[in-house]
Amino acid sequence: MTEQLAVDAVGVTKSFGSLRAVDDITVQVAPGEVYGVLGPNGAGKTTFLRMLFGLIRPDAGTIRVFGRTWEKDGINVLDGVAGFIESPKFYPYLTGRQNLEGLALLDGGDRADRLAEVLEVVDLTDRAGDKVSGYSYGMRQRLGVAASLLRDPRLLVLDEPANGLDPAGIRDMRALVKRLAGSGLTVLLSSHHMDEVEEICDNVTIMRTGSVAFHGTIEKLRTMAPDPGYALSTGDDVRAREVAGRHPSVAVTTDPDAELVVTGPRDDVAAYVADLVRSGIRLDGFIATRTPLESLFFMLTDAESSVEGAA
Amino acid sequence: MSRVGVGAALRWEVRKLRAQLRARAVLVAAVLAPIPVVFILHGQSRPPKDTLFGRFALENGFALALLVLGFASQWVLPLLTAIVAGDVFASEDQHGTWKTVLTRSTSRGQLFWAKTITACGFAAIVLLLLTASTIVSSLLVVGHQPLTGLSGQTIPAATALKLVTASWATMLPPMLGFTCLALLLSVWSRNPAIGIAAPVVIAMVMQLLGSLGGIDAVRPLLLSTPFEAWHGLLAAPHFTGPLTQGALVCAAWGAVSLLGAYLVLRRRDITGG
Repeated sequence: MTEQLAVDAVGVTKSFGSLRAVDDITVQVAPGEVYGVLGPNGAGKTTFLRMLFGLIRPDAGTIRVFGRTWEKDGINVLDGVAGFIESPKFYPYLTGRQNLEGLALLDGGDRADRLAEVLEVVDLTDRAGDKVSGYSYGMRQRLGVAASLLRDPRLLVLDEPANGLDPAGIRDMRALVKRLAGSGLTVLLSSHHMDEVEEICDNVTIMRTGSVAFHGTIEKLRTMAPDPGYALSTGDDVRAREVAGRHPSVAVTTDPDAELVVTGPRDDVAAYVADLVRSGIRLDGFIATRTPLESLFFMLTDAESSVEGAA
Repeated sequence: MSRVGVGAALRWEVRKLRAQLRARAVLVAAVLAPIPVVFILHGQSRPPKDTLFGRFALENGFALALLVLGFASQWVLPLLTAIVAGDVFASEDQHGTWKTVLTRSTSRGQLFWAKTITACGFAAIVLLLLTASTIVSSLLVVGHQPLTGLSGQTIPAATALKLVTASWATMLPPMLGFTCLALLLSVWSRNPAIGIAAPVVIAMVMQLLGSLGGIDAVRPLLLSTPFEAWHGLLAAPHFTGPLTQGALVCAAWGAVSLLGAYLVLRRRDITGG
């Protein structure tokens, strides 16, 4: 008998009027997997996750969660599933603890004894007695994670959990998600940040205007990625171009701001830069612009382009 | 995970309601507001003779309680119930919390019934408090002399107390009818302001329609008409036909409103929040 998929969404389609928000996408997540759904804003990630949670009905296709469907099993589909869509929302006139107590009630009340534990995990113990109206954005995100953990999920669905957070908040949220993913949970993570998905996920689906632009492992994605690019600022751009002629694997172009852009395999670019220094050319700046995966992400999600090997 | 019934969702709704300042304010107002109203009416030099029981309101506590009832039924009772019923669904849209509660182990249907029961229960409690406060303050301030009924008959104080209490109790069916209408407007509009204000406006329009001539066939079907069904209790002999008819009309309005609200909620895509 084959292992039951945590998420088995096949041929899922959803339109709002004339807009096809999700177009025949298939996403399959194995138990224990950390899966990323990546795409720019408006790609259809959130609509797909809302359908997974039963907040939106698909026009076509089937969604099975641990083998259960909304049509047959109703709300029982969400047994063992938790998470949040976009920014988590709570009742502002209640405290963080009261919100969690209420949500525990809606789960049957048998998780209420875990309140202290989940508040500790998200580092909100000290502020649990404050009204949510006084919470910062990051605190609400963490309360959202706490509300999810309260369900003791086997599948955790997080929709852009670091969205809107300051750099420290992003760091803390990523560390928390990594910790949760490392505990054996199945995690379905939506994001529009390639580095976030690359850091955490095993497999990824990249969406573009409602359809799948890529589906596969992060490793496969890496093999498709272009060479890294660097912005180069020198004291003599003409001579820098001449030096590049001695390094055939390195391309030096000029971007719209008249800055030099160097692309090529990492070691070859390093050799080129060393050559510039040896040639007495002053190096004013050398900055990595996009990681290879970021470049690939933009290529995949740009409606005009196509990438060989993509889904 | 435990199976969850309507009871758990109901407890959650009641907890939220208890934490809302607006709901608490309505309950306090239901108790306190009749007291100054009774004092003000009692302090008038001339009775409002053109109003039902107005002629006796300055000298009879029962008549004063019925005068307040006639006033309250025009728009106060629809407003008091709409403050919760018109908000109970729409506030989830306002706070963006549908996605929070619908991703737990409670279905849309269970949440719908929990909210409906909460709103109806609140309406009943508000009516109870308003009734008790009005009657007690009227009797204490004005007195409990025998009441002159609508047919000119004299009603002993003990009987008058029962009839006045029963008259206030007959407000429950139309109040629940307006509660259901407010629930529908709350689900449909997703806007608390519309959910609260629209039932009051509809009540006033119905009152106006009901006062027009030439619509005798339509008048009994208006949701505002059962607010006047208590008149038969104070006539001699009593007649209860309007009460029965009014209860059926309220039940029909309530059933249609709830069915509409249920279908809208079940079918809608939760895209906001």
